This record gives sequence, structure tokens and C-alpha cells, in this order.
Amino acid sequence: MADFAGGGTAPAHPDLGLLFDLSPLPSLLLSPSWRITRASARFLEEWNPSPEACVGQELLAFVQNQLSPSPVHLKFLTTAIDDAIALRTERTSMLINTRRSVSWRARVIPYFKGDELLAIVTEWQKNLFTDDEVQPGLSTDEAFRILVQAVKDYAIFLLDTTGNIATWNTGAELLKGYRRDEIVGKHFSVFYGKEDLDSKKPEMELEICMRDGRVEDEGWRYRKDGSRFWANVVITAVYKNGVHVGFGKVTRDLTERKSAESRLIAAYEESEKLKSDFLANMSHEIRTPMHGMLSACALLLDTSLSSRQRDIVGIMDESGQVLLQVINDILDYSKLASGSFSIHSDIVGITSIVTSVVRSVQATLPPSVHFEMFLAPDLPRSVQGDPLRYRQILHNIVGNAAKFTEKGSIRVRAGVQREDHDSYMVMTEVTDTGIGIPEAAAASLFTPFTQFDATTTKQYKGTGLGLSIAKSLAELMGGSIGYRPNPERHGSIFWFTARFKKIKSLEQIQDWKSRLVRKGGAILAMPEADVVSLRQKLAEVASIKSLLLVEDNVINQKVMLGLLRSLGFKITALASNGSEAVNMVRSKPAAYDIILMDINMPIMDGHQASKAIRDAGILVPIVAMTAYALKGDRERCLEHGMNDYIPKPVDKKYLIKVLAKWLLQMKDYRKIFDEQMNKLRSYESLTPSARGHVADRLQQLSLTVQGEEGEGGGAATPSDRSVEHKDQSDSHGAQSSDDTINVVKPTSQEEHQHTSSMVSSPRFEPLLPPVQLEMLDSTQDIGLMVTGDIAPNARGSQISAEAVDSGGDTENSTSGTTATTPLDPPLDSDKSTADTTHRGAATLLP
Amino acid sequence: MLKSDEDSDDEVYFANMPDFGDHVDNAIFSQILEMDESDHERDFSEPLVINFFEQAQDTFEKMDQALASRDLNELSTLGHFLKGSSATLGFNKIRDSCQVVQQYGHKLTVDGVSEPDENVCLKKIAEALQAAKVDTAELEKQMKKFFGAE
Repeated sequence: MADFAGGGTAPAHPDLGLLFDLSPLPSLLLSPSWRITRASARFLEEWNPSPEACVGQELLAFVQNQLSPSPVHLKFLTTAIDDAIALRTERTSMLINTRRSVSWRARVIPYFKGDELLAIVTEWQKNLFTDDEVQPGLSTDEAFRILVQAVKDYAIFLLDTTGNIATWNTGAELLKGYRRDEIVGKHFSVFYGKEDLDSKKPEMELEICMRDGRVEDEGWRYRKDGSRFWANVVITAVYKNGVHVGFGKVTRDLTERKSAESRLIAAYEESEKLKSDFLANMSHEIRTPMHGMLSACALLLDTSLSSRQRDIVGIMDESGQVLLQVINDILDYSKLASGSFSIHSDIVGITSIVTSVVRSVQATLPPSVHFEMFLAPDLPRSVQGDPLRYRQILHNIVGNAAKFTEKGSIRVRAGVQREDHDSYMVMTEVTDTGIGIPEAAAASLFTPFTQFDATTTKQYKGTGLGLSIAKSLAELMGGSIGYRPNPERHGSIFWFTARFKKIKSLEQIQDWKSRLVRKGGAILAMPEADVVSLRQKLAEVASIKSLLLVEDNVINQKVMLGLLRSLGFKITALASNGSEAVNMVRSKPAAYDIILMDINMPIMDGHQASKAIRDAGILVPIVAMTAYALKGDRERCLEHGMNDYIPKPVDKKYLIKVLAKWLLQMKDYRKIFDEQMNKLRSYESLTPSARGHVADRLQQLSLTVQGEEGEGGGAATPSDRSVEHKDQSDSHGAQSSDDTINVVKPTSQEEHQHTSSMVSSPRFEPLLPPVQLEMLDSTQDIGLMVTGDIAPNARGSQISAEAVDSGGDTENSTSGTTATTPLDPPLDSDKSTADTTHRGAATLLP
Repeated sequence: MLKSDEDSDDEVYFANMPDFGDHVDNAIFSQILEMDESDHERDFSEPLVINFFEQAQDTFEKMDQALASRDLNELSTLGHFLKGSSATLGFNKIRDSCQVVQQYGHKLTVDGVSEPDENVCLKKIAEALQAAKVDTAELEKQMKKFFGAE
């Protein structure tokens, strides 16, 4: 039995131990204490341990030695054995990976007799990868697959050779919103927007990718739900064994970064703008005290100084001027840079601007440099544009030419480059024979803050901003600017173009003109003579001037009356509202020399009252008085037919200036009336409708006719006076003979006498001062200022002083140095006719 | 354009004037005083100023009534009216309060922005009116002293 029990001899049926040995599965027999008691032949074959290293060993130590698994994986084994023992059933462990790229699972079978554990059998199964997830031909490593599968921040997937989606990872699902089963097999162009699809971007990307191996793109891509994100996409062509098998595509969501970028850009732009605004503000703030300093310097220079003091003040003045120019440049530049620079639309007389710029620069030149000015005959006399900016560019260029030219000539040429239906492109060119510009510097001429004279000596002053400002201005005016060397000799040619609109109609000119006149109204055209002498002159005539004060507030009435009395005015009528004033003026149309009109009044305000007075055809000057005048108030006053305006509370000096302007300088409105009559008389040969037109015109124009200051104001000769008188009575004659003309006539005999007596009184002594016919030329021309010495060849040439003065008194013939008025031909001839009448009448008298 | 020479005769009056603080614009008020025949007999300015205080008193009463009947239009008109005379005399503080009354009477803030809430307007007007009354009383005292002392 012992033999039988010991094995050795062949039994009737195979020994169990032999069966164990012959098992096709690699198997180990363990004692209850997990020690290896037997290893099958297959096991020894597969694991290849030495038998002594195997049987008798503790299992875990053995596995550790053989497979070197991670502790986690070794734990899979112990867990499986523990579970099997506890449950008294077979258990299979999870895969135990090894370092040798093979992994095993153990099937654990516990053997119990009653409650006693007799033995444990472990059968080892070698694991084979069955990679069903990778397309044929694209198989990849497990680790790599897991990595790709697990990445959440990138959408990584493969396309087949035609661009259909072959794989899909978690990142792709998260980013694009498609589940794997929805998207695999679809073409990758579903991620693109319509615009990209229209431009065939997906196809092009694959094409480029085939050619270059990879392509990278940033742009909007669309999710399943239609929302979009800013994506960075890299597509790589994938080859296997030299055969193209598809594309790898990696997509990143850059929406965050994109918005961060745009925030940064916005912040940058904002700070740029703030910087420019700051510059503009600062320059402005600096300029104000600068002006104060310069005025003080100018005053100081007028006092008696020692020659040394004078030198020093001269330096202060000069440096101040340079500094001011620098500040102005920076202010302009920063305004241009911040885009807050605007071009105004106004009337432009190119010839007069060119002439005046040339003249002002010429004054600073040594005699060795001479100016030439060519104004093309096709140059329009007046166009619409920004005269100040045109002047600024021209002044800069001409100023540069003067700065860099020590001898020779500076030539300014202006002409029309091209012309279309409603605009001119005006080309202005400045040629000098100065130091010229080195070729290397020519490219950066128009760049801000560059000066080609970068030498340490800095012979030429300036910010280097001038030309860059000129460039921006020219561009704002629809033109361009450029430089070329002077081909004839040393020197340079700077040219610029600017677009100007054509002035279409007469109305447009009149509109502009009246705006010009208004602009030049009270303050600009205010006589500069000092207030003391004005006051004296005013006092001389005050006693015979009759004023109407329209003011509702008693206090204001008293103060105004007091002010006027202190200036010598004795005849001041009072009205306490507009309606009263209108009645007073209507009943005595020629009684008042000037009306001072409050605006805000009960019953009828100043605007309405003025309109009513004008509607009645009465041309008496009306000066508005308003408190806290806002911008635009003045314009409103002028619109309602008022002539001027005084801010409240009334400043005495201002009042003196305004009164002087209207009582001393402006032609008496009653006389304008007479003149009209003369003019109308000479038009009697015209048809009635033409006459009516002329009458309207004259009436309208006469509102704004200005007279120059009566210089000298010396006593008129008796014959002059009688001319006036005669003239006056003539006009009355005309009135009665032609009732069709709608002008206001004195209503009563008394009134008539009043008018006549006024006419013969000495207050008309600056008899008919030369009329600056600013308004009368509106049908044809704008003032053209040309002087003979500068531009003998300029068109328009000089209008002789006599021509203008002939309309006035001979005494004043010396006052007109530069005539500014090409005359409207019909009016011109009329003027001479009137003049003839004038003189003719004079000779008739004894 | 410095006006030193023009201002010289004003300065004489400036020198004779007491300091009314920010109640009075000296340049304007001196212009009024200038119209007196002599500095000792202020026969132009004194009745004028007295007249003003009567006018102010009168206007304040009308304003109180208008305020009680919530008549913004009337308040604006009254504000403008007294603003005119106070500005003429250079009484700046009163003028500024009147400006407030005028503006809110037009349902506008002082900066000209629309203020649609009538209650807010009335409240602002009431405040400005009160300030104007206080300033007027104070100024009247100073003026009496000024004219009385001469």
C-alpha cells in the first residue's frame, strides 16, 4: 500500500499528480499557507524558473521575484486568493502586469475538506492584447492609446485619408460636444463655419498638410450646439510604412487666450488714447500761461530798457516763441494721434492764403533769398474747405524752405491738379535752393520726432513734428504730401495736395459770407483803438445820438441809463418790453440811432421784437443784451435780425466798444437807405421785376454794410455837407416818385424834419467813409489780397485805392492801402453811377 | 492785450470799496459806484441798491407764493428776473441762487440736464430761495453799513 501510496508503480488509472503535471494550463499547487508544493510542467516551461527556486517557496515572494509586478498588481493576486478562500469558490485575479510586457491573470481554486483548507490550485493565464479599438493599419501602443483617450484639454483624433473622422477622445467630446458614436465616420468639415466652408478651407488644409506634412491654423470652430470657440488646430499627415493612412488632428480651445489678447489690445489702445489726451490737455494748459508770459515780454520790450536789458528780454521773447511753437506742434500732433482733430468747412481763398503766407515768411528772410509765386490761372478763387489747415501746411513747408535756404530762391506754385464734378484737387509745391535733404533721410522725413539734422550742434531748431503734422493734415484734407530733390540745383521740392469742394451756388457763398461776417462780428471786428480815445470820440457825438433802451427790469434800466449818461448820452428812450419797443420804433422809424435790447422780457421778448422791427423794414442797429450768454446765443440774436450783442452784466468798456462800432464806424442806417434810393434810381430803366429784386437785394445787403473807421475825422467842407443834404433830399424825391418800392418812409412831416436836421448836423462829418464792400461782392468773388511787390503776376492784381475811395470821401483816399474787394460788376458800375450822381449834384449846387 | 492802463481808474474805486467777500463782484459794483457824482453823496448807487433790496423782497414773496402753488414756470420767470438785476449790480451769490431757481423752474439742473421730477425741482428751488434770502439779508446789512458809513 505504501508503494501504491508512494507512487512509482503504474496504477490502474492515471495518478492525480500526473494529471496535474500534464495540465495544459500553467498551474501551481499551494499549501494552505500559500507555499508552492508542486508546479506543473507547463508552468515550469512558461515561467522558466529553476525547480528548487519554485517548489517550497512562498507564493508571493516567488511571484515577486519572477514577475516584479507593482505592489498594486501583486495585491490583485492576494485579493483573488483571499476571496477564493473566503468564498470557497474559484476566483480570477485582475491582470498582473509585468516588466516584460506580458501580463497574467491567476485563476484561484481552493480545495476544502469540511472546513479544512487542504490545498489551493492557481492556474495562470497569459493575457493577449485584443485591440479592437484601433483601426486596421493604425494600430498604436496601448499606453499611447490610453494617454490620447484620457487627455481632456485637447481634442485629439484621427482622420482617414479623405478627412472622415476615425477616432475620438475625451477631449474632443468635451470640446466639441459630439459623442463618439455620433461623429466617427463624418467629415471633419462639420466643425467649420460657413465662411470657412465657402472658401474651402478644410480641403485646403488637408492639401497643404499633404504637401508640407503639417498645417496649423487659428480660427473659429463650431460645437455641436452651434456655439463657437477660438481654436488652434494642428493637422499632421500620418504615414505607416511610407503609405499615407490619414491625418492626426489636435485642436485646442484658445477662446480664453483670445479674449485676454483682445482685452490687452483694448487696454493698450485705451492707454494710448489717455496718453494723447493727456498730452493735448497738458499742452493746452502750458500754452495759456505761455501766452501770458509772451504778452508780458512784449509789453516789457515796449518800455525803456538799457541795451543789455533789451537783449535779455529779446532772448526771453525769442525762446518763448520757440517754446510756444513746440507746444503747438505737440498739441496738434497729439490731437491728430488721438483722432480728435477735425477739419472745419469754411470758405477758402487759396490765392490770398498763399500770398499772405509768402508775405509773412518773406519778412523773415535775408535779402539774398527771393520769393517767386506762381498761381495757376485755373486756380479757383474761392472753394470750400479748411482755410486754417491749408495755411498751416503751407506755412510749415514754406517756413522750412525759409529756414534751410540761405541764398537763392523759394518758389511757391499752386494750381489745380485735377478737377471733378464737385471738387478740386489743389496741388501746392514749394521749391527751394537750400541745403537739400540727404537721400538717407528722405525716407523718414514725415515720421514724427525725426529731424535729419541730428548733429549735436543742432543748427536748426524744432520738434521734428512739423512735417508729420503736415502729412496728417494733408491726409485729413483728402490729399497727400511728398518730397523730391530739386532737379535744377541743390535744394528740395515739397509738394502737397488737398481736396476742396466747389462752391455750387450763390446762396452757398452768401451763406458762408454772412457766417464770416457774423464770426467777425462784435469781438473780432471790435476796434482795437484804446477805450479811452473811443470814449472821447463817443462823447463828442453822444449828445445828439438818440438811443432806445429796451429792458424790463427797473434795476437794469437804471444801471444802463446811468452808464449811458456817464458816457454822455442824453436822449435815451425807454421801453419795458418788446412790444412797447416795436410800437415806438414803428411810429418813429428813423428816430433812434441804436437800440439796446434785452432778450428775456415779458409780453414780447427781444428776438420777436427785433424780428418785428426788421419785418417793418427798419434797419436801425439792434444790440442784444443777454445774461450768461452761452455759445450759440449770439448766433440766435444775429439770426433774429440783431446786429451785435453785449453780455450781461454789461461791462462799461465793452459797451463803449460796441457803441463806438455802431455809432462811429458803421454807416448810418438812414444813409444806407438813401444810398439804396440812389441805386434804385439808376435802376429805373430796369424791368419792374428786376427792380424789385434789386430792391430786395440792397435792403438785405445794407444790413451788414460796414464802414471803415473814419480816420482823421476832420471837418468836412461845407460843400460836402451840402452834398449830403442834397443827396438826402434827392432820395426823398425818389421815394415819392416811386411808390412801388417797399421801403420805410418817414411817416410824418415832423419826422421828416427830424431826419433832415440830423443829416445836416455835424455828426456826419466823417462823411461816407470808404465802404468796405464786404457784402456787396458776394455774387462773384471773395476778397483777394495781393500786393504788387510780392506777386506782380498774380491774378486779380491790385485794386486801386481810388476805385474804392471814389465811393467815399476824397479825404480818405490815403486810408486804403490794400483793397480787399473785387467788386460785383453791376454793383460796381452802380457804385460809380451813384458816385457820379453824388458829384454831379455837388456841382449843381452853388 | 493787457489792460493795465484801462483798469487804472477802476482801481481808485476798488480802493474805496469795502470787501463784500464773494457776495459782490467788485469790478461790476465799482462800475455802479463810478456813476455817482461824488464818493460822498452816492445819489445814484444808494437808491439803486435800496431799490434792489425792495425788488428782491418783492420777488422772494412772489417766489414763495409760486412755490406754494407749485408753479414752476412762474418760478423760472421770477428767477430770471431777479438774476438780471443781481447780475447787473454784481451781487453774485444772489445771482447764482436765482440761476438755480430759473433752471429748475425749467426742469433743468444747473448744468442744463433735464430733471423730470417736479418734486426734486421744487425742493432745489426751495433750497436756493432760502439761500438767496439769507445772502440778501447779509448783503443788505453790509450795504447799509457801506452807504451809512459814508
